[in-house]
Amino acid sequence: MEKPGLLPLLDARLPLTEEGVAEAARLAGVSLAQAWGVVRYYPRYGEVREGRYLVDDPVARARGIGSLLEGTVGTHPPLGLEALAPAYVRVEGEERWVEVGGRAEPFATFRLPFALGHGRKLLPPEPTDTLEAYRAQGGLRALEAARKGDLTPEALLKAVEEAGLLGRGGAAFPTHLKLRAVARGEAPRYLVANGDESEPGNFKDRFLLEHHPFLVLEGALLAGFAVGASRVYLYIREEFQAAIRGLKEAIGALEEAGLLLVPTEVFQSGGLYICGEETALLESMEGRRAEPRLKPPFPVEKGLWGRPTAVQNVETLAAIPRILEGLEAWRREEPKLFSISGDVAAPGLYELPLGTPLGEALRRAGGEPEGLKAVLLGGAAGVFTRDFAFPLRYRERLPLGAGAVVAFGEGVDLWAVLEGLAHFFQEESCGKCFPCPLGTTVQLALVQRRVRDARLVEDLASTLKGSLCGLGQSAYWAYRSLLEVEGAA
Amino acid sequence: MRLKVDGKEMEAREGALLLELVQVPTLCHHPHTETRGLCRLCLVEVDGRLSPACATEAREGMEVWSDTPGLRALRKTLLEWLLLTTDLSLAPELQALALALEAEPGRWGEVPGRKGREAIEDNPFFLRDYAKCVNCRRCVDACGDGIMGVYALTLTGRGLLAHPTTPLDRPLPETPCVFCGNCVQVCPTGALRPLTEV
Repeated sequence: MEKPGLLPLLDARLPLTEEGVAEAARLAGVSLAQAWGVVRYYPRYGEVREGRYLVDDPVARARGIGSLLEGTVGTHPPLGLEALAPAYVRVEGEERWVEVGGRAEPFATFRLPFALGHGRKLLPPEPTDTLEAYRAQGGLRALEAARKGDLTPEALLKAVEEAGLLGRGGAAFPTHLKLRAVARGEAPRYLVANGDESEPGNFKDRFLLEHHPFLVLEGALLAGFAVGASRVYLYIREEFQAAIRGLKEAIGALEEAGLLLVPTEVFQSGGLYICGEETALLESMEGRRAEPRLKPPFPVEKGLWGRPTAVQNVETLAAIPRILEGLEAWRREEPKLFSISGDVAAPGLYELPLGTPLGEALRRAGGEPEGLKAVLLGGAAGVFTRDFAFPLRYRERLPLGAGAVVAFGEGVDLWAVLEGLAHFFQEESCGKCFPCPLGTTVQLALVQRRVRDARLVEDLASTLKGSLCGLGQSAYWAYRSLLEVEGAA
Repeated sequence: MRLKVDGKEMEAREGALLLELVQVPTLCHHPHTETRGLCRLCLVEVDGRLSPACATEAREGMEVWSDTPGLRALRKTLLEWLLLTTDLSLAPELQALALALEAEPGRWGEVPGRKGREAIEDNPFFLRDYAKCVNCRRCVDACGDGIMGVYALTLTGRGLLAHPTTPLDRPLPETPCVFCGNCVQVCPTGALRPLTEV
């Protein structure tokens, strides 16, 4: 059952010594072998070189990474800074800084500019980072109702079902089915908010966590209440230090107001793309290498510590209070967040109704579809497309992913962008199953040679499809789609 | 219990693994360890989804396909990638499988791999030659949860760089290793092999 997590114990002992690792292993009640496997897995337990790093995202690749790399010691995985790209990370001793447009700010205080957000429901036009501000804008009513017994778990589940809410993390699984499955399980049950957003091109969860922590928390507590969770965990990407601090303060404020219906805590993520995969996420929380589990069993049956667990994306949870506010209004609009970046006049985060044509979404951000070479839809696990009439909706011809839209103008070398994505997959493959580490390595070599052999790419696809988890299963989408876009051009 | 395998009706006992019912290659699976579902060579199509035969139980009414064009492409390609990246010279079964699948690794061009790793000789009994390691984890499991409960082996790195190592990367004699030889026994590629027989 539940023991102190190995990752927090290691974090408390940074920079690590052999004695520190042994002590953390002892306190966590795990073998030194397990602790060492963990230390040798997560980047932050290895040696971190000081210096300036280019944030290697699709926008930086489109601008030409060669010149951007001058004066750096290497690259850093995407950080949700695409709307501000090119961005840099500076590491000095224990301190990390975000550098954008010549200005540097420590991770501890850096947040995405509030002006990047454009919306009403999921993105209130005013900041809601205090309890008073959130309440003044109509927040907390559902939570109050749940506390008083005016809102039952069943009524809540029913509303989520009638809203037709699909998971906003990319898999688009019906939220009510997941919640109901956990609610049916035996206690103790858990709810985990997945705030490990690492998909290149996406910055919606980062923005929500940084600017609307009470909205996310209310959603998480309502979902936790609905499934009868004995604890809610907010699993937050470790790099989002300002968000983590804001969430901790928000938890305190809710507790003081008597509204923390379920004990809630923040868990700092393992700091890798794979940590967003729900079973890998659970492995990291249990103090192991974040490697996906074989499914079945699914987390709703055997999740955290073997208990029924609902892992829900941050945006999915933020939608729940809004649904309870007014089901009809929600269904009319079905708001979804789109992270729009690249060659548009006003990159940012846009709340748009599901079904909005891609071209219109681009125009909202000041883009001109006619002048674009292509758009990367969904992120690294996404596709290049020129279908600007495509309705941005789940379960259509193209994957929406978590809602990333990266626009590339006529001058952009799309193969350079693709190379960045291929490099990302190769770096982020965990190495547990065979097709993924092999296939992502082969893919990078092919992309670097700009191989356009459709037969080879089909075999690459057939093989990556056999990977254990979604990372490998989607790793070839962008490559194959670029060949299609080129063929159609 | 009845199910359909490659278009033919079949009788199976409750809880039987699909691996017992179909002819598919395996690599990571070993009866004495818990490793399963990693190499993906034994993938079959179950009701339209890819599932590892070594980790999937037969169910009433299941429809299983073990030899579709997609699965053939996957097995052949996987073998090609293993040959490209890993020294399989002491893995005759994999070589035979590559031959049977008509693997042509050359069609992928140059791919960086793990053949350049130097062998580690840190004890008088066996060699750890990770240039030959496909990272199936049988040794790690045999040492730990699967057989011995000794925990002298773990994993280092991620992606294609991941491979077994010892706690704190120490020489084996400085770990809990008792030199039982189980890890050597379960290694399918000769990455772990007795020094006396080299």
